[in-house]
Amino acid sequence: MRSLAFAVLFICPLLAAQDDSFLIRGATVHPVASAEIQNGSVLVRDGKIAGVGRNLAAPKGTRIVEGKGLHVYPGMIDSGTQLGLAEIGSVRESVDTGEIGKFDPQLRAEVAINPSSEHIPVTRANGITAVITLPMAAGGDGGGRRGGGAGSIITGQAALVHLDGWTWEEMDVKKSAAMAMRFPSIISGGGRFGGGDLPPDIAARFSFTESKKNYETELRELKEFFEEARRYQKAKSANLKGFKTDLKFEAMLPVLEGKEPLVVMASRERAIHDAVQFADQQKVKVIIADPRELGKMGPELKARNISAILGPTLALPLHEDDPYDAPYALPGQFYKAGVKFAFGTFNNEFSRNLPYQAATAVAFGLPYEEALKAVTLNPAQIWGVSEKMGSIEEGKSADLMITDGDPLEAKTQVKQLYIKGKTVDLTNKHTRLYEKYLNRP
Amino acid sequence: MNAATPTVIAIHNARVVPVSGPALARGTVIVRNGLIEAVGADIRVPADAWVIEGDGLTVYPGMIDALSTFGIPDAAPVTTGGGGRGGGGGEQAVTQPIAPPPATTLPARGPEDRPSTTSWLKAADLVKLTDRRLDAARAEGFTTAVTFPPRGIFAGQGAVVDLAGETSGDMVVADSAGQLVTFATAGGFGGGFPNSLMGVMAYIRQVYLDAEHYRDAKQFYAAHPRGVQRPEYDRALEGVLASPRVLFPATRRIDVDRLLRFANELHLKAVLYGLPEGYRSADLLKKADATVLVSLRWPEKARDSDPDEMDNMRALEVRDRAPSTPAVLAKNGVKFALYSGGIDRRADLFRAVKKAIDAGLASEDAVRAMTLTPAEIYGVEDRLGSIEKGKIANLLVTKGDLFQDRTEVKYVFVDGVKFEPVEEPPATGRSGATEATPPTSEVPRGENQ
Repeated sequence: MRSLAFAVLFICPLLAAQDDSFLIRGATVHPVASAEIQNGSVLVRDGKIAGVGRNLAAPKGTRIVEGKGLHVYPGMIDSGTQLGLAEIGSVRESVDTGEIGKFDPQLRAEVAINPSSEHIPVTRANGITAVITLPMAAGGDGGGRRGGGAGSIITGQAALVHLDGWTWEEMDVKKSAAMAMRFPSIISGGGRFGGGDLPPDIAARFSFTESKKNYETELRELKEFFEEARRYQKAKSANLKGFKTDLKFEAMLPVLEGKEPLVVMASRERAIHDAVQFADQQKVKVIIADPRELGKMGPELKARNISAILGPTLALPLHEDDPYDAPYALPGQFYKAGVKFAFGTFNNEFSRNLPYQAATAVAFGLPYEEALKAVTLNPAQIWGVSEKMGSIEEGKSADLMITDGDPLEAKTQVKQLYIKGKTVDLTNKHTRLYEKYLNRP
Repeated sequence: MNAATPTVIAIHNARVVPVSGPALARGTVIVRNGLIEAVGADIRVPADAWVIEGDGLTVYPGMIDALSTFGIPDAAPVTTGGGGRGGGGGEQAVTQPIAPPPATTLPARGPEDRPSTTSWLKAADLVKLTDRRLDAARAEGFTTAVTFPPRGIFAGQGAVVDLAGETSGDMVVADSAGQLVTFATAGGFGGGFPNSLMGVMAYIRQVYLDAEHYRDAKQFYAAHPRGVQRPEYDRALEGVLASPRVLFPATRRIDVDRLLRFANELHLKAVLYGLPEGYRSADLLKKADATVLVSLRWPEKARDSDPDEMDNMRALEVRDRAPSTPAVLAKNGVKFALYSGGIDRRADLFRAVKKAIDAGLASEDAVRAMTLTPAEIYGVEDRLGSIEKGKIANLLVTKGDLFQDRTEVKYVFVDGVKFEPVEEPPATGRSGATEATPPTSEVPRGENQ
């Protein structure tokens, strides 16, 4: 115990002095945006990448990180999580993913994030340095968590955050990366586990007729909400006397102006089609989230330059008769259709599996480079932060991982992780439990 | 009622299909006081008889609906109970809506509370002439039904009833036809035990074990009342013991397998009903020498289903092949009867039987499966099911062969009383569609991670 205390005392000032400037050298650097560099170096100064290349010279006194035999990759980005909003799905008190109400664009997920969530260090340990945190409806297409917000359509503003910081302000990358939305859809039939064991009164609610009626109502409400928001926009720009600020519509302004995309949960082809049409009609930007099939939507998405956030590939097919590999092959289909996409896990506990979700797609038709891009550069571009992150390029945030191999391989270890140039602790609940049981007498 | 019908009737020179023997191209049937007095080719028409000239007509035994709720007002048709996980594309093998327990009773905790059990109910006590479906049933050609209380795991005891009479009591031919079992769970969502198929099976097993013990204890007590504690009276077990046979629902082949083993283990005289997958269960049934009731309500696409959703192959296969079940059973020598499954329009019923005939069932076998075979299954073949001297005069007189599109039901005789079919209610659109059927649907469940 005492020796540990000594060690801490000695190391701390040393770390503080080195701060967030250092030089990694002798490693294989994978900038993602360009070809890999053997025996390369990455220079980091004040949390930013100051140089990438061979034999970089560092100012005197710069801390040197020897990377011989190791690899440097940009940190990965999970484009769909509820990290920081939900801790334990089955403990209601720890779930804060959504609000009550159909339209809540004024909600900001970022301010609700718990920086001390146990999921954050676990996720980080696999090389994930930033995530999109989505406010979500209960029982939605995502994690299926229950935290209020059942039946919500616009659930609030999705935040892009770094997985390090004492407060959400320190974690912030982009407060409003997108407006999160569940597109109304007809939920009926076709469930893989469709059985008959629902009580008839419950089953009746999922009848096609009922479901369609509900869908049409929601669609009408959605259109009305957008019309109202446009009226508000006009009234505001006209500087009308007695104009009252309304936070809901205020939050919609960047969406209407095309500055902020709508990230739309749409799993079935029909819903994707609807969402694309809606975007056309409303002249807004959309990102399709968690699609489970592409169908004939490839050309439409490509023509409109609409990106997608692909959900877990390690999933069961939608239908009993679907090929077993339908979810594994879906990213390959998106790639062949020329649709830009990033991966999201739409999960908290398993956000750490992001690289393996991408790897599975590689085994089923997605080129490796594309899989790596889909967890690094693509999400940065889709979320509008490609000047800040997503690759190892000069001027970008030093979100880096040093690994002993390919990060999409399950056996690869992340040796060192940096967020904004700061060394991040890789211990987490998993490692603590590992140590605990390893040392069991 | 048709009070003007005379007590002696002769159907003269008609084609007669007695079912128990070869058909007579030209025969006469004499009915007196509700019984068949004579049948044959050279029968003299009694002087006091009301004569019906039989040219162009065919006389069949009245049809028997082998599993029904006819006569019990407001009862929904019997279905096979819980469809269970993966039950297949919205077929009608869904949970029967069971009546919610009265608000004063607590949810059942276990078998000791005898959940969803009304084994003591007797259809014979429940049937009423006022059930409006009786007219429709007779118009379909049914003169008899084996009718059951429809709800619960041990729903109650069936009765063989004629579908007309002066009083409700007149209807009953046999008051103890068997115990109807469904796999209705308590409905989940806090409905109490049992809440799963597993629980239902365990419960049924427990009840039969209890019943056996109860019977022995009662017998012992009857022989030695002095110095022996008397066994507690249990109406649920009384009801089970009073039933000469038990009807189990079997939807899939695995149900057939499971229930045949189950019945064998508990030494039960079991009859399986439903059997949409009977076409691939014949080997099991043959081996066990089982008797089955096949529902004529063939599986079909749920009425209110999503037009964009494709049904899965399993559901499509069952839908396509279920009507071949009777043919396959006949070919394999499995004893089976057909029942309406609640189909209440003649055109729909005939179309359903025609489907089975088109799938390979011989017409004679179809007729037998709706007349003499059900009578045999329920042990009333000495009274019903064929046109033979001394049997009850339940007859069906048609113009044309049974189960053809253009067949007309001219007359129906129930206990010798003549009925002419009433106008059918307007078509409901789909064959076998009745209002009482619960909507069927599927919902996507959570994806496994």
